[in-house]
Amino acid sequence: MDNFEKYIKENKALFDVHKADKSKLWANIESGLNKPEPKTKTIKLWSQPILKVAATVVITLGLFSLINILIVGQANKNTQNNIALQELNDIDSHYKGLVAYQVKLVNKSTQLSSEEKKEFLSFMDELDIEYGLLKIELQKNVDSERVLEAIVINYKKRIELIENLLEQINSSKKLDNDDVYIL
Amino acid sequence: MTNILYTHKSLVEKSKLGDRNAQYKLYELYVDAMYNISMRMMHIKEDAEDVVQDSFIEAFNNLSSFRYESTFGSWLKRIVINKSINQLKKKKIPVVPIENQMFHIKEDIEDVPPEIDIKNIIKGIRLLPPGYQQIINLYLIEGYDHVEISEILEITPSTSKSQYHRAKKKLIEIVKTL
Repeated sequence: MDNFEKYIKENKALFDVHKADKSKLWANIESGLNKPEPKTKTIKLWSQPILKVAATVVITLGLFSLINILIVGQANKNTQNNIALQELNDIDSHYKGLVAYQVKLVNKSTQLSSEEKKEFLSFMDELDIEYGLLKIELQKNVDSERVLEAIVINYKKRIELIENLLEQINSSKKLDNDDVYIL
Repeated sequence: MTNILYTHKSLVEKSKLGDRNAQYKLYELYVDAMYNISMRMMHIKEDAEDVVQDSFIEAFNNLSSFRYESTFGSWLKRIVINKSINQLKKKKIPVVPIENQMFHIKEDIEDVPPEIDIKNIIKGIRLLPPGYQQIINLYLIEGYDHVEISEILEITPSTSKSQYHRAKKKLIEIVKTL
């Protein structure tokens, strides 16, 4: 920095020779400024009687529709539950017959010892208990579709077991027969 | 040093929230300085007033973007300078020296009179071509460096440097004749 620059920097204040017209400028500035957030205005609006009534109507309608939805929902649940029970009855009547028939076949079978029969039927009892639990579950209305599915699987398992058993009995019969032929 | 950045912090913070009294207090503190800056660049009272008004409006309306990276004063000053330059450009007044305006000055250092009257320097600046006036104002009086001037005038820092040296020599020549 040379002397000339230094001299000017030292006397900088002397370059401010003008005075602004403060009030005139401020008036123009103020008109261009963003208005501060009108917090009270919104409150004032709500104090108007018409808006109060409107708000009450809106709230009442809202509450009414909410209650309505709840009631309809409950009713739907009930009908859903009824449908599930109806379905269970259908499943019961279909599979119960099948199982009972096959259990009878097993009981009749002369190929099995009473011990074997007992063992097999005790296994069937276990599945019966599971069925009972599933039925209770269905009444609790957790997820009726899945519970019904489980009940069907329970039934199918029983039938499959019986079928397997009967098949085994039959095949051993055949084997016996073969033996006869060989002999 | 950092404390300087927070000059008038409470006023600035209140102004950010739209407190009209705080805004007026800030305005009162800075209006004369801003008006003088604008007057040095615009020369016409009405133009300078317009720039100052617009600058304060812009500053207060966008105060939320002010994050104490500089002082409030230098932030505001930059708005005033930018608005002044834009106004000059609109009026087609050159903000940087035009080629054929350039003076060819001998390289030897001019003798600087020991005690010059500041009034004569002010008068001398007024007699410079417009492009030279801005660079002298920005560097010598407003205190910007050549990097800042290059941003303001959209020129390279080296152009700013060379133009400033030419302008200063011309100014000294003029002042000597007064």
